[in-house]
Amino acid sequence: MKTFYKKKFWFMVLPSLVLFLMVIIIPFMQGILYSFTEWRGAYFVGGDHWWDALVGMKNYVSIFTSDSFLKALGYTTLYAILAVVVQNVVSLILALMIKKIHTGKGAFRTIYFLPYVLGALAMGYVWKFIFENVFSQILFGTESFFHIELLNNMLQSPWKALLAFAIVSTWQVAGYYLIIYLNGLNNISEDIYEAARIDGASEWYQFWKITIPLLMPSFTIVLFMSLASSFKMMDLNVSLTEGNFGTTMISYLILKTVRESSPPEYGMAQAQAVIFFIIVATISVAQVLATKSKEVEM
Amino acid sequence: MAGKAKLKQGLMMFILIIIGISTVFPIYFLFVNSFKNQQEIVASPINLPRNWDLSYIKNAAAQINLVGSLIQTILITALAVTLIVVISSFTAWAIARRDSKAANIIFLMFTSAMLIPFQSLMYPLVSFMDGLGLKNTFGLILMYGGFGLSMSVLLYRGFIMSIPQSMEEAAMLDGANIFQMYRYILMPLLKPTTVTVIMTNAVWVWNDYLLPFLVVGNNDRKTLTLSLYYAKSLSGQYGNPWELIFPAVLLCVIPIIIIFIFLQKNIIEGIAAGAVKG
Repeated sequence: MKTFYKKKFWFMVLPSLVLFLMVIIIPFMQGILYSFTEWRGAYFVGGDHWWDALVGMKNYVSIFTSDSFLKALGYTTLYAILAVVVQNVVSLILALMIKKIHTGKGAFRTIYFLPYVLGALAMGYVWKFIFENVFSQILFGTESFFHIELLNNMLQSPWKALLAFAIVSTWQVAGYYLIIYLNGLNNISEDIYEAARIDGASEWYQFWKITIPLLMPSFTIVLFMSLASSFKMMDLNVSLTEGNFGTTMISYLILKTVRESSPPEYGMAQAQAVIFFIIVATISVAQVLATKSKEVEM
Repeated sequence: MAGKAKLKQGLMMFILIIIGISTVFPIYFLFVNSFKNQQEIVASPINLPRNWDLSYIKNAAAQINLVGSLIQTILITALAVTLIVVISSFTAWAIARRDSKAANIIFLMFTSAMLIPFQSLMYPLVSFMDGLGLKNTFGLILMYGGFGLSMSVLLYRGFIMSIPQSMEEAAMLDGANIFQMYRYILMPLLKPTTVTVIMTNAVWVWNDYLLPFLVVGNNDRKTLTLSLYYAKSLSGQYGNPWELIFPAVLLCVIPIIIIFIFLQKNIIEGIAAGAVKG
């Protein structure tokens, strides 16, 4: 059997490898090189090849000296922190409740999951209307019965918009994450809780000393997914605010840099893209290492 | 004591139902407002429509070129997902069964690629594919294929490592070739993972607007989500034409809601099964 796989190995991995090289490796390498050039997308300034257009660190210097990039970076980071906390807390609480109830587990899982399959761009338009009309005029506006300023005109202030983005993204992903948490909860043996109860441990104590440590593998997965997707968030940014009122996040900025400059500054956008990659990769690796080290063996 | 437990159950049920209603509210909202005119939408957004007027849906269907966009989207999604399922499972099989340096390096390469945000390489990717003459629908399918690989290889590899090799050995002794082993032994065993891979990738490809935006742009080969984006952004210079946006969004999400209703049980079990190994 071993020799069979040895003989067939390259044949079996070749299709993926070729595609991977074409779609990921080569463009990724090119992207790094192009970030040091004056690239216009369709051509290089000063010649036919990228090495004719080398400008050294110029693109990096200009993105770090203009405040649009740093602003978007800060805003994205704030959003990511808020979204990761809200998404995890909501999905974990829902999972804990669904685990405890006796009837309707399946129905709740299905209903909460539904938004995940709907597009963020498409549903973002619907939410835009909900925030602008239903929230601001009917429910929480200045003339409404429950006037709540935080929920009024949410899309017109960068701080309130952060909450709006977090609400919609949580609405979308909580159903997915709760299934992962629920699965983790179901893998914890009832015997441990039984033993803890005999020892007189309170429910609160059981939650912190048993549930949370044993749920660490699920945390690793969900945190990885929520952190990465929050940093890369773009569709809602487009559909809810189009980046207006100081709400542009990094992903959308990379797109806008090219669209709003003439001639299009692809080289500069690519420098933003490289920094973006470094940030996402560093945070993701650090997070996986940190949560992995807290996983306990039973 | 029993009374207290019952109260707790009731309370949790109540909270879950309230959250459940809020979860489907935007979908209800989308539905009822797809049959109203602009005035009625703004004046009474929550109520059922006064009369179920289909003209707004017809207008939206024309605006987003429904039939053409739908065919295009189904074609791209189906082919990209098939490509991902076939080649990632095949590759994961080799990586899971072969314990060599090359296998480990290739696996590491696939997993670390998950750290690369799409935005980090989209511009060079599109220009590179353009150079190969692939800035078209076929190229779009290949790009989705390549981007979907990492996660799928990871999921398949985890699952294959958990199943014993004995069935493959028996099949080989019976004279099965590699494709027969793959088709009759491996794929049936991998079903739960395949459901997850199909679901996550289909949802992503169907709803994506960025890649079609870069590759296709505003021509007649647009996908549904991209058509919606253009319908919204080209008509939105003078405020938001909700009587167009709501029915257009509805047309974009209806196919996926229908598929979800039919497959929801498999999808949710698939995610739960996939999560253990991932």
